[in-house]
Amino acid sequence: MAKQAGSHEEWLEQLAEESKRKQEAFMNGIAGKLGHPRMTSAPEHPFRGAPDFWEAFEWPLEERIDRFEDNFKAAGGHVARLLDMEAAKRFIAEKAEVLSAKYVIRQNQPELNELGLEEALAGSGAEVRVWNGEAEENWRARAAESDFGVVVADYAVAYTGSVTVLSSKDKGRSVSLLPTALFVLIPLERLKTRLGEVLRNFDAAGREQLPAGIHFISGPSRSADIENDLTIGVHGPGVVYALLIG
Amino acid sequence: MSTAGAASTVKERADLALNDEFLRKAVKFTTERLRNGKKQASAEHGNWDDWRERGRQIRLHTIAHLDYYLNLFANQARANGVHVHFAETSAEAVKLSLEIAQRKQAKSVVKSKSMVTEELHLNHELESIGVEAIETDLGEYIIQLAGETPSHIIIPAIHKNRYQVADLLSQEAGETLAPDTSVLAGFVRKKLREKFLEADIGMTGCNFAIAETGSMVLFENEGNARMVTTVPKTQITLMGMERIIPSWADLEVMATLLPRSATGQKLTVYMSGITGPRREEDSDGPDEMHIIIVDNGRSLQLGDPEFQELLNCIRCGACLNACPVYRHIGGHAYGGTYSGPIGAVLTPALNKNVAEWDDIANASSLCGACYEACPVKIPLHEMLIYLRRRKLERGHGDAAESLGMKGFAAVMGNSKRYAGIVKLGKLGQKLIVRDGGIRLKLGPLKGWNTYRVTPSLPKKSFRDQWGTLEQELRHGLQELDPAARSRMEAIVRDRDSKGGSGHG
Repeated sequence: MAKQAGSHEEWLEQLAEESKRKQEAFMNGIAGKLGHPRMTSAPEHPFRGAPDFWEAFEWPLEERIDRFEDNFKAAGGHVARLLDMEAAKRFIAEKAEVLSAKYVIRQNQPELNELGLEEALAGSGAEVRVWNGEAEENWRARAAESDFGVVVADYAVAYTGSVTVLSSKDKGRSVSLLPTALFVLIPLERLKTRLGEVLRNFDAAGREQLPAGIHFISGPSRSADIENDLTIGVHGPGVVYALLIG
Repeated sequence: MSTAGAASTVKERADLALNDEFLRKAVKFTTERLRNGKKQASAEHGNWDDWRERGRQIRLHTIAHLDYYLNLFANQARANGVHVHFAETSAEAVKLSLEIAQRKQAKSVVKSKSMVTEELHLNHELESIGVEAIETDLGEYIIQLAGETPSHIIIPAIHKNRYQVADLLSQEAGETLAPDTSVLAGFVRKKLREKFLEADIGMTGCNFAIAETGSMVLFENEGNARMVTTVPKTQITLMGMERIIPSWADLEVMATLLPRSATGQKLTVYMSGITGPRREEDSDGPDEMHIIIVDNGRSLQLGDPEFQELLNCIRCGACLNACPVYRHIGGHAYGGTYSGPIGAVLTPALNKNVAEWDDIANASSLCGACYEACPVKIPLHEMLIYLRRRKLERGHGDAAESLGMKGFAAVMGNSKRYAGIVKLGKLGQKLIVRDGGIRLKLGPLKGWNTYRVTPSLPKKSFRDQWGTLEQELRHGLQELDPAARSRMEAIVRDRDSKGGSGHG
């Protein structure tokens, strides 16, 4: 087994060498066709990002909330505005009761660790699992069998009605994808007007600081592939609640 | 193309499409829906032309410096732990993909939508080495079961009705499924869930690749692309070499243009930026990630002043929905991976065989609707003319047509000769004019009259009337007809009271 693994590594190494050689030829070919010498330093990019008039655009908080709600609902999602985390806990517990949820999976985020969802759901008999809690578990399968996924958004965007979730050791990509219903908690201070206000953070962070997965979610999974008839919940969650908190 | 069957020309394939009543209606309905969605979304967003211009500038800039940005992307992706590969031809890309599948001893590959893999006929190649390739986009899954190819870049199964879909899925289910969209989609969800969880490899295309951080970006509505990049242990991404944008800031412009132009959405349900394989402490995401950067004819457009802008295309499908020809004949008639106006130009451009694909360039009325619809302002209608010209320059023109054109030049170049010919025509047409038109499908009028009626020459031509007309022009019309005058005055009054730009 060890020998085989080694040979796979060797093969990858060999491919990498080949790739680097080819890369040179590829880039020289491109430069040649474009009729300039190989460019080794960054060219000036005067049109980077959105038009200038857009960069100054910002809605006040109340309008951000209203627009987010309109857009998220128009895409088939649900929105609730809640006073605090306590209210969010009650909201999720009620839904678990109504939909008879058996398995709930949540991210290992500080806000959720303090929430006490486990006790709140104990009454309805739902079991709450925490992503990546035990090393040996097959977490993808656990997420796939869950009725509810519960996550706290890293950002939200009012103009497009989107929430943004970033992956990490404590924040599985599967938690916002595999369960049947998804609950996204959005602390109001994370709600921005424009997409660009979120995206600029990734430029600022730079390659080394980026997580493996950055996902913008704008409502339930959907398709219109059969006779243009809108179907909800094709692969991802069919029920998505955005809970605006604060 | 498997769907083209024996029909080898656009005209033959279009005839097949025109015979299919459902296809024609479905294409018309879908394209109308998408086109109206786009119009509404772009109008609501506002300043649409400023955004288009910005999108065009970003694409132009990136392609003009592609050696820098693509090189940067490759280096950054590699630094993220991605295995980056370069494929000049489709054969090389296929070889690399199959080698990875074999090394991984893969039994199955789950795929999210990728036009590049369609270019490579990769599903077929994977099957040939005993690897099951499963399309997971609902529409793609349906046409894969039917053994067909996509007919629309955004809605690939546009040509199937729910009864046909129910038949296909019932065979797969081993039981009869009702022709109800939610029942059918529910079956696919369950079926493909199993496939996602057991697949060894996830395969994707790439909407945009961000050079500065080595990230790849996917736009989708169903969640299958997220599945494919989250669940299997190995991910392979096939990416056209021109998919690059410099930064995440530039992604805002593309994210503004692409979903609105494709479906009229403000953003697709999912937009995912993937930066490398899973981090060591993460519990999902691929362990091993490959990105294969594919040329396959793209670099032929670089440095070509007439066609370089083709590489700006962001694959939104807006030109298909706007095109009166596409709406009439559907996607399969184009016979290549890409259909509609973009396909009519891209297919011969990538294949560099103008002769073989020449009739595609003629499947357009040159009306310019494609340019108007394009979110990055690619002058497709002009490119179609360049293609036709190149076809002629390389001697692939129509011999009868060029003979006709030479004759036309000889006649038009000399006024006496022209007058003589017209006089002759007026006499000669008496034999063939019926109901004021010429329907003869013989000789030089065969091609034209197959679809139209040639108007007969009038008894008194414009030239014959020129003497009188010239007199009137020289001395002006003495008196305007009183009715016409009061009508025009009313229009002017009306316009003043409404205000506005005065062009309405």
